[in-house]
Amino acid sequence: MTETLSALATGFGVALQPANLLWGFIGVTLGTFVGVLPGVGPALTVAMLLPLTVKLDPTGALIMFAGIYYGAMFGGSTTTILLNAPGESASIATALEGNRMAKAGRAGPALATSAIGSFIAGTIAVLLLTLLAPLVVEAALKFGPAEYFALMVFAFTTVSAVLGASTVRGLTSLFVGLFLGLIGIDSQTGQTRFAFGVPELLDGIDVVVLAVGLFAVGETLYAASYTSRLPETLEKIKGSMWMSIQDWKRSWRPWLRATFIGFPFGSIPAGGSEIPTFLSYALEKKLSKHPEEFGKGAIEGVAGPEAANNSAATGTLVPLLSLGIPTSATAAILLSAFQNYGLQPGPLLFQTQSELVWGLIASMYVGNVILLILNLPLIGIWVRVLAIPRPLLYAGILIFATLGAYSLHQSWVDLLTLYVFGLLGFAMRRWDIPVAPAIIGLILGPLAETQFRRALAISEGDPSVFFTQPISALFLALAAAAVIGPWVWRLAKRA
Amino acid sequence: MRRSAAEIALSAGVLALGIGVSIGTLMLPGEGGYARIGPNFVPGFVGAGLMVLGAWLLYEAFAGGWRHRGPDSPAERGEHPFDAAAFLWVTAGLFAHMALIGTAGFVIAGAALFACVARGFGSGRFVRDAAIGFVLALGAFLFFVKFLNVGLPGGWLAPLLGTAGI
Repeated sequence: MTETLSALATGFGVALQPANLLWGFIGVTLGTFVGVLPGVGPALTVAMLLPLTVKLDPTGALIMFAGIYYGAMFGGSTTTILLNAPGESASIATALEGNRMAKAGRAGPALATSAIGSFIAGTIAVLLLTLLAPLVVEAALKFGPAEYFALMVFAFTTVSAVLGASTVRGLTSLFVGLFLGLIGIDSQTGQTRFAFGVPELLDGIDVVVLAVGLFAVGETLYAASYTSRLPETLEKIKGSMWMSIQDWKRSWRPWLRATFIGFPFGSIPAGGSEIPTFLSYALEKKLSKHPEEFGKGAIEGVAGPEAANNSAATGTLVPLLSLGIPTSATAAILLSAFQNYGLQPGPLLFQTQSELVWGLIASMYVGNVILLILNLPLIGIWVRVLAIPRPLLYAGILIFATLGAYSLHQSWVDLLTLYVFGLLGFAMRRWDIPVAPAIIGLILGPLAETQFRRALAISEGDPSVFFTQPISALFLALAAAAVIGPWVWRLAKRA
Repeated sequence: MRRSAAEIALSAGVLALGIGVSIGTLMLPGEGGYARIGPNFVPGFVGAGLMVLGAWLLYEAFAGGWRHRGPDSPAERGEHPFDAAAFLWVTAGLFAHMALIGTAGFVIAGAALFACVARGFGSGRFVRDAAIGFVLALGAFLFFVKFLNVGLPGGWLAPLLGTAGI
């Protein structure tokens, strides 16, 4: 405990250095600016802004990313409330009530309860992260390759099988990602796999190209094809920006409840913030003294889901930082940001790069404060961003989307890859196949393969190693339960 | 009974990918040292998995359609019918960008991309859009090349921009 506190104090020393504070400010501002753009969720925001940090030192870059992440989430909420165009599925609950509030002339309080709720949830969640991460690290230091492999298999199954409508489609997405992860040079033997003699493919598929292809190009193709001819209404901010005493009274309990709903969902490798936001929404509807207002603009229905979303998003940083396991699309892209600097998150990083890790954690406390003081006063600017005509907006997004892919090898081949992923993203969106498992499969697949082969090398090829070690066996059993459980459950219900 | 051609095609695509990965796996060496498994083990597993999933999706597609899907028709989704011209304009923009970036450079390719995408979204002012795209791409170019030292091709404008025409 005292160790954690002193490490955190060192972290604040890093985060509060003027340069790093500046990167945090820039990150939050840019993140909000891009996150406000309709159709651009946090994962895409982080992926598109990744090229900006190439020349920064790792600490500054990661602090900037923490800011971008928080900014993008708040930006997304703003769009959802004012435009009813959720940039990510976790915002759908907010769209239900927040947009109705805006239509009723209460956009100000809706944005305020979202911002303050996100601040409170974010801060409590970072506090929980501070306390929990060192414990996880301590346990993880005892993990060998077999345990890591089993844990990754568990993460694969939860992100693809448990979340989403269909286990089969989730797993399909995961396996497509795993296949993409195989492309390139095998890290252990130097064997080239599935590169078809294309030099650009030898390095493997970059997770940013996949994410930008699926989200930016795919979304642009989709929006052009199916929504570009629809009229849209941007709600104006009328009346008071501030929450009344009544609004405060109705908001503070949902904020706190949602924080504790969201965090566990993010931090056990069962990522995704959809489930906690919907849980929070349902809970607040049940507990509210004004259930009749739900569906017509109940402030609790904004306060709860927004806090749950933020808390779950922060929770995903626990497995990311302490185990190196991403459980959301955004976490997968953050992991690739680490890898760009040759850093592999996990228990060892807490020892070898203690200043960086704790600087990053401290900067999340700071980032939350920056977000709060920056965003409500600047709301007028963000609204103006929303007023950019759709044709120019999407055209601009694609200029930056292609820039990131092209700068990898200065080659049009990466642009073609980007377009192919765009087609894939279009099809996945159109026919309800989740994209997050593919992104997580791409980045986590090669890590899982390495651990798998290492474990077998230690056991000299004996596969029983995965089942005889208790922790490994436990995670594999949980993984199996995650895939088979829903079927058994359905059969049992039918019987 | 709902039967969607797209679902059948996508399922078959997954199955075909699985078969392709499995064939590709056969060409990989299996020598594995201490681990007894080589660089072909995981590809074999992924190929097999994709085949099983593809077959499963195909079964679902024929037996009443993929499970637990939202409404399939754009109207029920609150969208307009598929606009092929819009889709093709965005595609054309991306391919024009691919073709131009190596020769004409980042800024001109960006302007072409911008104008085509805007056209796809229903903008009727191609020349104005190209001009906006030009200015935006120029700003991005200068920021990335001069400020961040990221290499982007100047192309035909390289002499004007004072950069190497990579």
